[in-house]
Amino acid sequence: MILEKVGLSIGRRLSVAVVVTMLAGPTGPFDIPLFATPSVPAARGVARLVYASSPFGVAVTADGRARYDVQVTASGLPAPEKLGAFNSYVAWEVTPDLDKWVRLGTVMNGKSTVGQAELNKFLFVVTAEADSTASKHAGPTVLHGTSPSGWLQSFLTHPLFRGVY
Amino acid sequence: MRIPIALAALLCAALTAAGAQKPVAPVPKPVPPSGITGMKGMPGMQADTGKPAPVAKVPADTNPMDGMQMSGMGHGGMSMPIPMPPGMPMMPGLVGLVPSVSSFLPGAGVDPMSLPAVKASSVARLKDGDTLDLTAMLVRRTVRGHAFVMYGFNGEVPGPLIRVPQNATITVRFHNRIDLPSTVHWHGLRLDNKYDGVPDITQAEVAPGGSFVYKVHFPDAGVYWYHPHVREDIEQPMGLFGNMLVDSPDRNYYSPVNQEQALMFDDLLVHADSLIPFGRESPDFALMGRVGNVLLVNGETHYALNAHAGDVVRFYLTNVANSRTYNISFGGAQMKVVASDQSRFEHEAWVPSVVLAPAERYVVEVRFDHPGSYALVNAVQAINHYKGEFEPEVDTLGTVTVSGSAAAPDFSRQFATLRSNAAVSRDIAPYRKYFNKPPDKKLTLTMQSTALPLATVQFMSIDTAYFAPVEWVDGMPDMNWLSTAKEVRWILRDDATGKENMDIDWHVRQGSVVKLRIFNDPKSFHPMQHPIHLHGQRMLVVSRDGVPNTNLVWKDTALIPVGSTVDLLIDASNPGAWLLHCHIAEHMGAGMMAVMHVDPR
Ligand SMILES: [Cu+2]
Repeated sequence: MILEKVGLSIGRRLSVAVVVTMLAGPTGPFDIPLFATPSVPAARGVARLVYASSPFGVAVTADGRARYDVQVTASGLPAPEKLGAFNSYVAWEVTPDLDKWVRLGTVMNGKSTVGQAELNKFLFVVTAEADSTASKHAGPTVLHGTSPSGWLQSFLTHPLFRGVY
Repeated sequence: MRIPIALAALLCAALTAAGAQKPVAPVPKPVPPSGITGMKGMPGMQADTGKPAPVAKVPADTNPMDGMQMSGMGHGGMSMPIPMPPGMPMMPGLVGLVPSVSSFLPGAGVDPMSLPAVKASSVARLKDGDTLDLTAMLVRRTVRGHAFVMYGFNGEVPGPLIRVPQNATITVRFHNRIDLPSTVHWHGLRLDNKYDGVPDITQAEVAPGGSFVYKVHFPDAGVYWYHPHVREDIEQPMGLFGNMLVDSPDRNYYSPVNQEQALMFDDLLVHADSLIPFGRESPDFALMGRVGNVLLVNGETHYALNAHAGDVVRFYLTNVANSRTYNISFGGAQMKVVASDQSRFEHEAWVPSVVLAPAERYVVEVRFDHPGSYALVNAVQAINHYKGEFEPEVDTLGTVTVSGSAAAPDFSRQFATLRSNAAVSRDIAPYRKYFNKPPDKKLTLTMQSTALPLATVQFMSIDTAYFAPVEWVDGMPDMNWLSTAKEVRWILRDDATGKENMDIDWHVRQGSVVKLRIFNDPKSFHPMQHPIHLHGQRMLVVSRDGVPNTNLVWKDTALIPVGSTVDLLIDASNPGAWLLHCHIAEHMGAGMMAVMHVDPR
């Protein structure tokens, strides 16, 4: 079968790449690797989503969106003043189109818990701000990541469904 | 013929992720000339419609690579005999396949019109020493205008609501008059092990025509339910379930209310005018469990309640669905949660909705403060796997119609107060010293699969970058339907010994307090949430993902989301051999159960 031969030979070559990709991905539905920006290249961080306190097995809104506290572990953040007229780092839940920013709380080197994140898919962004109580973001982004739900794949244009749409 | 490179990559990923397993499309069984496999002459179909059963067309060529021939795939006139979500295409590679089991529906061709119409649940108020006859039987149920042969206890769906005082013991004479073996399990009760209703562990199956006498003891106030423990995947959705309300002698156990309502949530899988048949040899829908497309409250498609403005209603909520987890609310009416499986909460709490996993119970009090109608809804976020997007989904399950006349008496003052239940905290106090001890037992939840259709393997392997902690709906019913307990094995794995499912043979001493840590491994082929149920004991969810629980309640069933680690503290008070299992009926049917022996002091 030509089909099988072609598929498997390409398959062997690609399998290494697939494994690497999978290892680089999130380890579960709750982990957000955070990436540094040129503002602070040495910044490192991870965020973990934990369900907010709830009498039930999971915490959700009335329309069924998960409610998470975000446990942030960060390092390499300089004193905010080093970046300009700033005095704190603030975490935001941001819609994927960057349109809506919701303040979640302040973040420091070490562990901080902020919350609650309630969007199905969101970007998690940490900025330097002039005011630790800022409700609008204004300063530079120092860490950012994508909610694990951002890894959902679309199959619309995939060969598996070619001809379906 | 050429294979697209991207498709080859898919295949490769599938093979990589699936490890040693060799995915092949199941080879369809020999096909009768009509092209109908396992669906012909489907019993349970309405006798007077004369419409044919849905047809699963099977390709004449059983080449396992057929599923990969994409060109020309699509609508092609091949109908999937199961309903797909609106706007959702079935996967071309699954066209024409059927599950590797033959099909079963209750009644084996009995004309539904020859059976008694189902009755609504009656209330059986019983006292200590009383006897109840409980007969599982065939009934006629009409769902969306179509009559089906289904099951009911004493001809009722739900079965009789058994209401008893705490500490009562009753005798239940169970009679099996259905066409499958059965038993009755008294879910959540800490009763005598020999009446727990688990075949091969506490009793033999009760064959059709047979009987069994249960002594049912009610040591704890609360809301419980009974259901068969044989082929739950069939017998429960076909109507064999009922509630038990155990009343505390304490008159102030709950706050005063104007009405009480017991609601049992269930769903049924119906396509056109037919019930979707079940797997005869073993459960189908083994990946996700059978998720119905007709949502029912107390067996009805639309629940209705009348109330006065300002009425406070106490709802006893029980999820009896095979797989679906609900998110229930009452049209914005103010709601507080007061109790769960086996006790009240330490602290009552205002809640926007109730998350109800299979077999769980919650007791809520709801105030309908103004005239009008309040929609009882299940509101969740579905995942459209084809678009890679979340989509809100709201099902209206019923209506509470509130008149202009005022509630009498007016309990608004009592309703406005969130109570703390010191008695619950006192009951829990002796266990607090165990909250932070290292786990005595650790379980990992995972699964294995073999010989699933290739297209399923391809899809699932690519889509494992993200799995929702809770899957609220079945976004892939085609793949789910084609997976049976022959291809899918759900696993409870003991971390200490590596033993799995029924090979796990735990022994603990009566009176011991067992900390059980459960991890739901997200790195399996198809991870999913599991409502884990322990028979015959009570337990506390002391922490989730390392975060201590600050509002405790005694539970017998705990939801373990994908990727989560949950610490349970088991009060091993009741001697005997007790089942620990996932309450998704098909997961249990695909192996996900173990036994914990509580050895007498
Ligand atoms: Cu399960």
